[in-house]
Amino acid sequence: MRQWYRLAFPSNHLERRKRVGFLFVLPALLFFGAVYLLPLAQSVMYSFYRIAPGGARQFVGLRLYEKVLTDPTFWGAVWNTVQLLLMSVPTTVILALAVALGLNRISSLKWRNVWASMYFLPFATSLVAAALIWQWIYEPVYGFLNYALSFAGMRPHKWLQDLNEVRPAIAAVSVWVRIGFDTMIFLAALQSIPQEYYEAADMDGASAIQRLRYVTLPLLNAQIIMVCILELIFNFKIFDQVYATTQGGPGGASQTVIMLLYDTAFKFFRFGDASVMAVFVFVTLMVVTVVQWRIFRKPVEY
Amino acid sequence: MRQANLKWILTLAIACGAMTVFFPFFWMAVTSLKTAPEIQRVPLQVAPDNWLNFANYAEVFRREPFLRYLLNSAIVASIAAACSVVVSSLAGFGFAKYRFPGREFFFLAIIGILMVPFQSVVVPLYVWMNELGLLDTYAGIVAPDLVSVFGVFLMRQAIETIPNDYIDAARIDGASELRIFFLVILPSVKPAIATLLIIKFMWSWNEFFWPMVVTSSPQMKVVTIGLTSFTNMYFIEYNLLTAAAVLSILPILVIFIALQRWVVQAVVMSGLKG
Repeated sequence: MRQWYRLAFPSNHLERRKRVGFLFVLPALLFFGAVYLLPLAQSVMYSFYRIAPGGARQFVGLRLYEKVLTDPTFWGAVWNTVQLLLMSVPTTVILALAVALGLNRISSLKWRNVWASMYFLPFATSLVAAALIWQWIYEPVYGFLNYALSFAGMRPHKWLQDLNEVRPAIAAVSVWVRIGFDTMIFLAALQSIPQEYYEAADMDGASAIQRLRYVTLPLLNAQIIMVCILELIFNFKIFDQVYATTQGGPGGASQTVIMLLYDTAFKFFRFGDASVMAVFVFVTLMVVTVVQWRIFRKPVEY
Repeated sequence: MRQANLKWILTLAIACGAMTVFFPFFWMAVTSLKTAPEIQRVPLQVAPDNWLNFANYAEVFRREPFLRYLLNSAIVASIAAACSVVVSSLAGFGFAKYRFPGREFFFLAIIGILMVPFQSVVVPLYVWMNELGLLDTYAGIVAPDLVSVFGVFLMRQAIETIPNDYIDAARIDGASELRIFFLVILPSVKPAIATLLIIKFMWSWNEFFWPMVVTSSPQMKVVTIGLTSFTNMYFIEYNLLTAAAVLSILPILVIFIALQRWVVQAVVMSGLKG
């Protein structure tokens, strides 16, 4: 208490300096408080109220939770989202790891940079643009994908317009967009592994597979977990790609949680229901992150 | 011999993968140079008849105020990037070089904000913007985007490496704390500032969800939203859509390619924050 008083009313130059430090930090604190903490608290509050379009509020306890959490549409969206991320997260992480390992072995620095930047390019693209380019590639009649597959003797698919193909198709877009980000992180981590480790492994007569299994992967453990968590969060919040292309269709087959939240809040203006979903998203991601971190984190020492 | 072969196979695999990843960009660019009948040709033809056919680009600007969309995105992204640098470097300086009660707690609290998805706070933010009369304004679009956790983290890391002696020397010379910030701190962390500027500009330029929520009139659309206006028709004219997509991606792609080193550094840093 005393130190806070001193922060407000410094009595000497050292205390004044502490106050300066606090004042430097203050704008950022106020910003995050106003844009994240306060609205988060409000979201929780809204989830207990029925809010009429005019702004009149009525406390309804857990009634909105009961309504949303027993709604098959909501769980359908959750299930779609989970399916999407089950397809895209492992694919992205494994492909990115493979690409990073490959890039790391290319000895010509110039060529390594050329190939690397091609993998990174989608990362700089907006998700909307990425999804729309892919929508054109997926186009059933004039699209490139069906054309290319016709050489393999495959009949044309409807991709984004098909109940079962729409989710893999959207997941593929997510993989394309995110692979560069993950590769960058893995590549940086690979390059920071001291060369002596591999020399030691070579002296023990380790094969390439053994080097990967016993040297590289354990040392990348922290990055792999982190990338998995980041990808999980990113893919759970999927919105832009779906909104720009299928809008949740066909027949709700690509409806995701955030799509539903957006529609509930800003199409139907049911802020209470949307807030229940907002709380659900927050709690889910927090639990998943903490659990993943706790279970898989092992200290890495070089 | 076997080693050398393996190396070639590896390089080939990496190159094929890179081409595959790059292909959609190529396909977008090629399509944007074709006429509507050209893209509906059977069998499909890869090259456009005329490589210098920019009619689709002209049409994009005629159909929609696309220049306005680009400008809106540029304004919003520039403000977000500039403000983020100022607030983040001040906070980074405070966290790195001063001791005050609650310092560790506040820093951890800011890092903890990463756990709060933006979508979980969007409804109350919308209500606020409505009450403040900021719906459909630049201020409204940019408000939640002004500072990012990553910026504070990045600037603290960068400023921590500046030797305290420099700061003390400036103090002995009688410089005020704010003067030290401008004349000692900022010039020593130029790379970090560049990194933050670029990545923040890129993030804001590509932002879609919040601008969707907060804007409604055509003249306030940012470029990501402007793109979707070419899809609202029953039949999508992909020659126009791809031209618009090229226009929306090009500025950011040029920045990205020119300054890739900084972007990669930023991404690696942002990865380390986890």
